[in-house]
Amino acid sequence: MSDQPLVQMLGITKRFGGVTALQDVDLTAYAGEVLAIVGDNGAGKSTLIKILTGVYQPTEGRVLMDGQPLEMASHSDAIANGIDAVYQTLALADHLTPAANMFLGNELTKNVLGIPFLDNKRMKTEAARVLEERLGVRLRSMDVMTESLSGGQRQAVAISRAVYHEDLRLLVMDEPTAALGPQETARTLKLIKALREQGLAVILISHSLDDVFEVADRVHVQRRGRAVGVVKTAESSVQDVLGLIVGAQDAAA
Amino acid sequence: MSAAMTNTEQKTIMDRLEPYLAFIGPMVMILAILIFMGIAEPARYFRLTNLNLILLDAALYMPMAMAMTFVITQRGIDLSIGSIAALSAILMAFLIKQYGFPAWVAVPLAIVLGALMGLINGLVITRFKVPDLIGTLAMDLVYRGLALVIAKGLVLARFPELITEIGRGQIPGFIPVPVVLGLITMAIGYVVLTRTYFGRYTIAIGSNPEASEMTGVAVDRHKIYAYVLMGAAAAMAGVMLTGKLNAIQATSAPYFNLHVIAAVVVGGTSLFGGRASMLGSLAGVLLLSMMINALVTLRIEFFWQSVASGVVIVSSVALYTWMQKKDRDGAHGLLAGLRSKEAQRLIRFSAALIGALILLLALGAGLATEPSPSG
Repeated sequence: MSDQPLVQMLGITKRFGGVTALQDVDLTAYAGEVLAIVGDNGAGKSTLIKILTGVYQPTEGRVLMDGQPLEMASHSDAIANGIDAVYQTLALADHLTPAANMFLGNELTKNVLGIPFLDNKRMKTEAARVLEERLGVRLRSMDVMTESLSGGQRQAVAISRAVYHEDLRLLVMDEPTAALGPQETARTLKLIKALREQGLAVILISHSLDDVFEVADRVHVQRRGRAVGVVKTAESSVQDVLGLIVGAQDAAA
Repeated sequence: MSAAMTNTEQKTIMDRLEPYLAFIGPMVMILAILIFMGIAEPARYFRLTNLNLILLDAALYMPMAMAMTFVITQRGIDLSIGSIAALSAILMAFLIKQYGFPAWVAVPLAIVLGALMGLINGLVITRFKVPDLIGTLAMDLVYRGLALVIAKGLVLARFPELITEIGRGQIPGFIPVPVVLGLITMAIGYVVLTRTYFGRYTIAIGSNPEASEMTGVAVDRHKIYAYVLMGAAAAMAGVMLTGKLNAIQATSAPYFNLHVIAAVVVGGTSLFGGRASMLGSLAGVLLLSMMINALVTLRIEFFWQSVASGVVIVSSVALYTWMQKKDRDGAHGLLAGLRSKEAQRLIRFSAALIGALILLLALGAGLATEPSPSG
């Protein structure tokens, strides 16, 4: 974990018509660190990461990368700057092979008589390599439909799509363990740790504080559109974070 | 990091067969037809001339089945192909007969016209957001109407050799020219499906349209491509039909829609999107042509063809749906569902309906008088 923040969001405010979804939120992410964003429904978690990944533009505030301001008009701008996201739905086409999914929208081709044809063989070996080297996952077969894979394996395929870009620096994961059983959850958390060890900044949105304390270094707590605290998991407990989420400490103060 | 994720469960026979199911299904049915005809009418069914006849009939549907495989895999449907075939063939016929266009220009022109009609279909569906079922059904009326407006009741006949050659030419000692053309289009379709952006995105769009959009696939553009391909293929079939009959009229090709959809669906391409099988579509086309030829050989009245096609569509879709459900939920007895309360209600309702029918029939028979010829 380095001292210089990789990405900073400063004074972010987002209004939808008369509704203020985010009010003056600061967020910092470091390379080689897992930052969890927690909060109740409607606390502004999703809006915050949609701004970070270029889907929404902030009403006020700035996003900095390496201290330089970042202007993102769309999600593809974010990808070009090394920021990508894995959505809760994973955005996989179930009837394609894992390799086809990994390269969806970004296929490798070879030219035959000047016509670009898909290079299925190379995509397959590349996909197997990325899964193995970056995520430590080896699939029984690369030729099956993605729908036949387990929840954790599907997660790995979705993540591999993001990490295939060598210049990926920040990965946002939206509720990766929400639909998974205990065993698959453990595997997914292991994937996240593996990404952290490779020096990626990971932002994890989760409702499960157990998962958060298992894998995250710091926890950013949102409540009613405001950042109400950032704590280090090593120095706090689930109870403390829970208190921040529901605002118990405000009431006590 | 080292522990690789591996599935411990063993591959079942079903898992192994799954990828080939689309092809095995129609092949089993083709085999069934062969065995049945081998017993019922071997002398006339297994003649070389009859085989030629079957292939000649199947060839007409091959280009359309190829294109329809793409359309259906994208969760689309095109009900206007019969009219596109008729209209583009009529236009071609007029260009040749009335305006003296050379055939080698008129044929590609007809195919481009068909592609243009497909483009209109695609734009109606993607730009105007008209659901494909309604959109293509309405355009079917439009194209058929235009064909009638242009040709009135005329039958245009006697075309240049190029066109009859496309429709019924015979390579000496080999198979007919249209069969060669049909097989080439299917082969091209297979390569396009498995090795090009368009094929890959077709499966992705049918499998998960939202995810495709999110990963940057131009969903609408690739849908339009599929309808354009469909239109061009339908026009090609129109040219082949014109050549085969050496005549064309506005009411030609009335049953193309369902015949082609049936062939594709029987071949294992899923109406729910994402599952495509070009080989299955070829098998489906052959199956339907063999079935219809068998009906003719058995001297069964022509009108039963429509009944047979419909039964084949329903049973094959039901079969594929049932097989996919079994994959996920584990096997249940076929009749297990009948014991539920809901099923009991439905059975009582059906019984009441049939009872009413019997009652009315009995009433009619009881009160019947000596029939008098109408008119």
